[in-house]
Amino acid sequence: MKLTRTPTRRSVLSTGAAALGAAAFVRPGLALANTPANLQLSWLHSVQFGGSYIAASNGYWADEGLDVTLTPGGPNAPVEPPVVSGTALVGISAADYTAAAVAEGAPFKIIAVAMQKNPFAIASLAANPVNSPAGLVGKKIGMSTNNTPVLQALCTLNNVDINEIEIVPTQYDAAPLVSGQVDCLLCWATDLPVAMTIQGVDNVTMLMADHGYSVYSQTYIATEDSIANRRAEIVGLLKGEVRGWNDYQKDTDAAAVLTVDMFPDAGLDLEAQKLQAERQLPLMFSDLTAAEGFGWFTEDGIAQNIETLALLGRQVTPALWDRSLLEEVHAV
Amino acid sequence: MTRTRGIHGWLSALAALALWEIVAQIYPNSFVIAGPLDVLRHMAENTGLLSRAVTATLHNAAWGFLWGNLGAIILSCTVILLPRSERTISLLALTVFCLPLVATGPILRVLYGPGNGPQIALAALAVYYTTYLALVVGLRAIPQNWSDLTRIYGRGRMTELFYIRARASLPYLIAGLQIAAPAAILGAMIGEFTGADRGLGVLTLRAMRSLDVDATWALASLAATVSILVYGIIGWIGRRLVAHPASILMTPPPVQGRENWSRSLGKAVALIALVLVLWHSVMDIFDLNRFFAKRPLDIWRYLTTNDEARSTLRTALTETSALTVPGYLAGLGLGAGLAILLTLVPALSATVLPAAIALRSVPIITTAPLIVLALGRGAAGTIIIVAVMIFFPTLIACLQGLRQTPGQIIDMFDSYAAGRLRLMRWARIPAMLPAFFASARMAIPAAFLAVTTTEWLATGKGIGNLMALTATTSNYNMLWSAIVVVTAAATLAYLVVERIERAILRVYASEQVQG
Repeated sequence: MKLTRTPTRRSVLSTGAAALGAAAFVRPGLALANTPANLQLSWLHSVQFGGSYIAASNGYWADEGLDVTLTPGGPNAPVEPPVVSGTALVGISAADYTAAAVAEGAPFKIIAVAMQKNPFAIASLAANPVNSPAGLVGKKIGMSTNNTPVLQALCTLNNVDINEIEIVPTQYDAAPLVSGQVDCLLCWATDLPVAMTIQGVDNVTMLMADHGYSVYSQTYIATEDSIANRRAEIVGLLKGEVRGWNDYQKDTDAAAVLTVDMFPDAGLDLEAQKLQAERQLPLMFSDLTAAEGFGWFTEDGIAQNIETLALLGRQVTPALWDRSLLEEVHAV
Repeated sequence: MTRTRGIHGWLSALAALALWEIVAQIYPNSFVIAGPLDVLRHMAENTGLLSRAVTATLHNAAWGFLWGNLGAIILSCTVILLPRSERTISLLALTVFCLPLVATGPILRVLYGPGNGPQIALAALAVYYTTYLALVVGLRAIPQNWSDLTRIYGRGRMTELFYIRARASLPYLIAGLQIAAPAAILGAMIGEFTGADRGLGVLTLRAMRSLDVDATWALASLAATVSILVYGIIGWIGRRLVAHPASILMTPPPVQGRENWSRSLGKAVALIALVLVLWHSVMDIFDLNRFFAKRPLDIWRYLTTNDEARSTLRTALTETSALTVPGYLAGLGLGAGLAILLTLVPALSATVLPAAIALRSVPIITTAPLIVLALGRGAAGTIIIVAVMIFFPTLIACLQGLRQTPGQIIDMFDSYAAGRLRLMRWARIPAMLPAFFASARMAIPAAFLAVTTTEWLATGKGIGNLMALTATTSNYNMLWSAIVVVTAAATLAYLVVERIERAILRVYASEQVQG
């Protein structure tokens, strides 16, 4: 494994599990033998990608002959350009983003799905809660106007008139809700609500996935070209991911500790990371993944995605998904 | 004198801190502002983390500062040695400066891969343009008889550049570097938004999303403090280097040449062709994928075949222009007005300048929520955000321009016991004009950038919103169309300002309009 920073002594010593992988990193001779591959994350380092860090530090990728670099994302780091350019072998995207990119000519396939349930949620304060889509009527919602189609889709799915909701353009920040400028926020269930809880602000989240919004999120994408020519590497990368995320499921606190130790410069708060790790668990793991394995998706799931994507103005076919690599991963 | 000045400075700094604490107390549970006491506590508790972040960001900012200013020096010397190239170089420099972060960020990240490349490049891009414009003015600010003297000794343009012009340009270079210092730090922070492991920008994002106001404001204070320090150091070096008072620049007014319209049109067409060829070939040379790095022909095809896109773009441009013009004028007025005020009442400098540098070096994502909270999302709030984002270069350039009043003239006003206001009106403001117009040109692309950023953060309208949409929709055709439109609008505005400038400087500073 290879990260863009050198592990500190503390991170090597603290987690016994981390020691193995870090040792591989300290002796570059070992890492050199492995094929380098780049996994483009969709956001800054956090426990959101906890399973990947476990895979890195436990040497799961080294077992596959891979030397995986985890590249952080950010507000100005779209995932699609590096994947299209081949700078990244695999990227973490979402079905709606991928559908849009494919419509613009990018040759992507969705090859695995980390979040079976979409993390988009409506967050509100406990004193003025929004518990159902109908409860949005007459409320002020703070969100990026980019996400208007998302809200529109939720409204259509639940027979709510979007014109009866007042959209206030805000930054991606819980402050407008806490300071009373808006009644609710359109955000991920796993970040701003976690921040509010940690800061002692009582809040309520309504997961959009529980109200018909079916869009796979944290999906793994690769280009058709890579799938054809670097298939073994992608399969190896996914194998490491699956092992890492299986460990994550068993102990989310350990994943949070590992994340904080691996990225001491990221300003992560351990308690917040633990809570986030726990909150994203039900989005990623279900009876389906218990039966078929991490990252799995079904024809039914694809059909539901196609329906919701149509509401978002994206016409896609099942050809956007390619499960064959994941089948290889879980076959062994 | 120095003693009282010092006490004055400390007193106003204390007053500013008290004011800050009071504002923080007014919005106690807003999660938007933290007072200085909370900020200090946070800093004390997180010294290691914060110092590592400052080191990382400063490292990138310093390299960007170096490269950007070197580029500016090379460009401005070229313009002086080959005056005919000025229009082309200035407009190319403007075009590159107009490229928004949403377009350059991903491209730089793909080009550099993981690491510090994009942060350094964005810091360099944030500084080269203002230094270039300031320096061109400075390199021209020489008395006619000096260059006559070089000619008499049979020396050429190179000698003149190195021995006379370079010296004359020093005060302008210093002002340029002072403008560049906070810009480089901000550029490096914003560069971290393209995906970085560490730095002040990374921590700011994290703090805002975690509702950690103490951290947010601690980071903002750090960025501001470091910027103020660098600004002060450059100013101190400047005062060592430029000890002599400015001299009178007597240059005969240029012969009014008639513009040949067909020739200017030909030049404009050639320039547009050059930009398009460069655009296409740079992307080809770096083998950038057409999915996100659209070529001129892609955009032509997109806009000519897509009526809906054209009308979306037209609506957005109208919305954006409606904010840009007042924002631009407000920022320019605020900068020049403050510069005049500070020259009349120098005691205010100790309070106003640090505040100005702070506003310039703190990312707008930190300050915008506070301004929006206080003033709302209406036109007033937006225009103030824009003015805050652009006034700084004007303030510094004009302050420096006001100081360029020739010593002899100040002596003469003094001997007639003319008041400060008269001196300002009849001597200082005319001396400031070249610097003012340079800053008026600097502010054009800055105003567009400011408005598009504000639209993204607060209003959700206009070109800024269209550009932000690319992040979710991969609509890079629309992004590049928007860039073309903004660049064209900025170029037009630049030409208008330049025309006004030439008309006025012909009278007040004819050394600037020779040739």
